[in-house]
Amino acid sequence: MEGRLRMHDGDFWSLLKEKGYQLGPASLPPGMESAVGRVSITEGTTIFSLKYKDGVLVAGDRRATAGTTVMYDRTDKVIDIDRYSVMAIAGVPATAFEIARVMEHTFKYYRRSQLQELSLEGKVRALSKLLKENIPMAIQGIGAVAPIYAAFDPQRKEGKIFFYDILGAEFEGVEFATSGSGSPAIRGVLHYQNRWSGRPLSELSEEEAVILTIRLLETASEFDAATGGVNREAHLYPLIKLVTSEGVRDIPQKKLESLYTSKVMVDSH
Amino acid sequence: MFEEPYRWVEAIRNRRDYLEEQLSAGSPIVGLSFEKGILLATVGAGTPKLYEIYDRIAFGGIGHPADMEKLRNTMLDMAHIEGFNRSPIDVTVRRLMKFGLAPMIKQAFEEVLNAPYIVKIIMAEINSTSEKPLFFRLNYDGVVEERGKNLILAGSSDMTRRMENFLSTVGETASFSFKDALRVALRTWAVSEFATASEGEKTDPSSAPTADQLDPLLKKTIEGRLIEVALLDRTQPGSSKYRMATEGEIETSLKGWLKYGTP
Repeated sequence: MEGRLRMHDGDFWSLLKEKGYQLGPASLPPGMESAVGRVSITEGTTIFSLKYKDGVLVAGDRRATAGTTVMYDRTDKVIDIDRYSVMAIAGVPATAFEIARVMEHTFKYYRRSQLQELSLEGKVRALSKLLKENIPMAIQGIGAVAPIYAAFDPQRKEGKIFFYDILGAEFEGVEFATSGSGSPAIRGVLHYQNRWSGRPLSELSEEEAVILTIRLLETASEFDAATGGVNREAHLYPLIKLVTSEGVRDIPQKKLESLYTSKVMVDSH
Repeated sequence: MFEEPYRWVEAIRNRRDYLEEQLSAGSPIVGLSFEKGILLATVGAGTPKLYEIYDRIAFGGIGHPADMEKLRNTMLDMAHIEGFNRSPIDVTVRRLMKFGLAPMIKQAFEEVLNAPYIVKIIMAEINSTSEKPLFFRLNYDGVVEERGKNLILAGSSDMTRRMENFLSTVGETASFSFKDALRVALRTWAVSEFATASEGEKTDPSSAPTADQLDPLLKKTIEGRLIEVALLDRTQPGSSKYRMATEGEIETSLKGWLKYGTP
């Protein structure tokens, strides 16, 4: 029987590392130069999150580009992590999807092993730690991820939004957060809307928040080639999820289609 | 000391006697299918016995709490590494048991210079594809048994047989509601109390006690003890189908039967 005793603290990441898992190479093997700039790496995006009346809305466009090539137009950039939280990814999908997968498994493992749910603070920090593991790749320009993590805290009955830089620093978005190449185009709009529209974002109903979301992503796609807009012929709409006291819910595509024609494109509020 | 094979066999025999004795008093666990999936029930013995291992996998044990804890952790590690590296659907109890746990337990059992695991384990799974529930029983000597509709984990094989006899008189439980399934499970559990209570009398192990004989005993026994019920509920939203039945659910099921009140 093995002599070494591992303290069972519910840490999935250290278990993975014990088994030899690596998020990515810590450094390029000797003799291999960085190919950044010569190799097209898939990225480009607009993602954002805002607090509305019932909780948190998280949205992302559907486009993934590598240089000027559209890699995929149906990317799901908002990922369910657990019952009350989602992660929206900006940056390199390869690393981001992997991070989301590790996080999902980490929270489940912790809960099952320690017989209690990991706190929201613990979860926010877990993502930060994973991003820090990714720093070598991020610095070399091959795997930078700047996600948004949004959750509903069922105890405090409030939504929370956190966004991160590529080095893993956590910031709380008090009213909203944006990330990705298309985010500058909409960051100002969100601020203006929240401050001077007469209706702060936190007072918006679900439908109002969804309409605003579609308009924002259309705006982002106007000014950022790497952000995909709505494509009615292809039935292509952004991915929008709501996180409330009832958990995570997707807005079905049919709903987005009907809202698009009946309300989004109609000039009124 | 063990140059002679006979001495090893003798040591194993002693070990078996020792383990049977250690496990005989354990509070049994009853596992059966019901309309929503699988129900596992036991009446509290101090430490909790029922745990979640993975999305559709539950675990229960009789025996030494520290050994159970070690095996539970081993199962968790194996399941989560596999689910992460491959996919959650690839995590099955059959694999975990046959290739993970059973070899480990058998090795500990037959290496007579080391301590064995003082445990008996039950694991249950609702399969995402076939919808058929599965139960596995692992003994301290590494023997794995697989069953489809229900499974009893009791401290001795005699007790197991008595409880299985009673359960077979009930018939198919797969369509039962939670309330009816819990009733059957608790009555089956009570067979173990009944057998112990009537130890002095000559009772035929193949004749099962009736509900009328079991209910009063059950009512008395659960006084001040915790009823532990774990469910694998395929109607539950989300990927994880495991949950513990709430106190409210259990209370409601007992009303009008073992407790006062209208159900």
